[in-house]
Amino acid sequence: MSRVYIQSYSLITGGRYYDKSISDIFAEVFLRAWDNAGNPEIDMIYIASAFSELVSEQLILPSYLCEYVNLEDTPCVRIEMGDGSSGHAILEAYKAVKSGECSTVMIIGVEKVHDVVSYRLSKFLGMMCNSDYEYFFGITPAALAALIMREYMIKYEYSYEDLAEWIVKMHERGSNNPYAYMRKKAKIKDVVSSEVISDPLRLYDMAPLIDGAAAIVVSNRPNKTDGVIEINCVVSSSCNESFNEKEDLTLLKSTIRARERLSKKVEFKDIGVLEVHDTYSILGILAVESLGFIKRGETPRLMKKESPDSELKVAINPSGGLKCMGNPVGASGMYQTVCAVMELLNVQPFTNIKSEYALIQDMAGIDRSTVLTLLKRVS
Amino acid sequence: MVEQKIQVPKYWRRIPQYYRLEATMCIKCGRVYYPPKRVCKCGSREFKLINLSSNGKLVNYTILHQVPIDYEKQRPIIIGLIDLNGVKILAQLTDILEPEKLRVGLEVEKTIRVVKHDGIYGVITYGYKFRTKIVE
Repeated sequence: MSRVYIQSYSLITGGRYYDKSISDIFAEVFLRAWDNAGNPEIDMIYIASAFSELVSEQLILPSYLCEYVNLEDTPCVRIEMGDGSSGHAILEAYKAVKSGECSTVMIIGVEKVHDVVSYRLSKFLGMMCNSDYEYFFGITPAALAALIMREYMIKYEYSYEDLAEWIVKMHERGSNNPYAYMRKKAKIKDVVSSEVISDPLRLYDMAPLIDGAAAIVVSNRPNKTDGVIEINCVVSSSCNESFNEKEDLTLLKSTIRARERLSKKVEFKDIGVLEVHDTYSILGILAVESLGFIKRGETPRLMKKESPDSELKVAINPSGGLKCMGNPVGASGMYQTVCAVMELLNVQPFTNIKSEYALIQDMAGIDRSTVLTLLKRVS
Repeated sequence: MVEQKIQVPKYWRRIPQYYRLEATMCIKCGRVYYPPKRVCKCGSREFKLINLSSNGKLVNYTILHQVPIDYEKQRPIIIGLIDLNGVKILAQLTDILEPEKLRVGLEVEKTIRVVKHDGIYGVITYGYKFRTKIVE
């Protein structure tokens, strides 16, 4: 079995790139990552994208993207798992290199959500719910997140202001991150006075949707001697049950199952950096608890403290999470991954992070499927 | 040509569920599934069709303001998690004049209402919604 190293990475800061097509933002990150890796021969390209046919009206997307950068004969495939597409693309790429089937592959998450107006976008997001029994009745992921939030607040006797502490902490982190889309601090009063999206969930609870692209080049050999990052392990697990069947909304079963698989391979106490998939703030809170880093129901209390990370001995979303990086849907997991790489490499502003391992939790939909990617700095 | 938003067969084949709350019950262990399933957790593939109760209790709810475009005229819509004698379902609540008075534990009952319109020329889809008995 081969080891799997990250040779290079790239991302564009999230935004509304009306003047650029999906091919343009793809090319930007592809070329930067490929150049930084020393232009190796690429055996396979994995494209993570959730909405390409809906937003960009393009099927067989990888072929057209590769055509744009003149990779005429490079095999390519798209992975679609909604907002968990990137994690699943990483899993497939990892297996390809680990097994020896491929030597060097590229994984690129790309999404161009702002090519359509927001009301169409909310329809596409709704398609991540069950089409016949949820979306038909107007139920969206935001509504499901709101139901989870209400149950969490009742179960652990929190007010909305208590849960807003998570958001304040994310904004604080994002304000120091030059790669973030949201780079301003937020106060509790900003959060509690923001627009109600689905009571009790408010605008500040949602990671802002962005056009985005991010990439990593992965190989069975490192291309340098210092600052080498390895993909140590990738595991996935699912929770293929209806939302209405769930006995407890305040845990993420797919994440718990993935954690159990990962814990057979690694000591969780060695993980010093964590990037969780906080498309909605409550999902970030549940991810940290379902991974076992914080006792269930304790996260808002801990977030009130000045520096919860030092007490926990793990830095949670040092990037500011998707809340600040933005949510490029199918590319969101790739943004998390590139952030985790930069954090392990102590790239500015992540110079104070001292950890050998970083864990990325990517999730499709509301607890439908989780991919955990463990990165290790080996030199 | 008017863009067709509702796919008629997709809607039509779900009428037993949308009108009657038709669920599947495992003949072997008695477990009830809504949405219906083809294989039971016990492994059995033998089911009988049953209609869920039309009466239940509100377990959880949210008032959704940012609705998909097809529901714009109904905005906001209230989504409830409802317990129908042990089987939970997600559904819209309707006829709620004072949403602020909603609370967990409210008794609700099924009714049939328009779910959405397919523009000016298309079909109108109907389905279950729930109303609370305490709001007149």
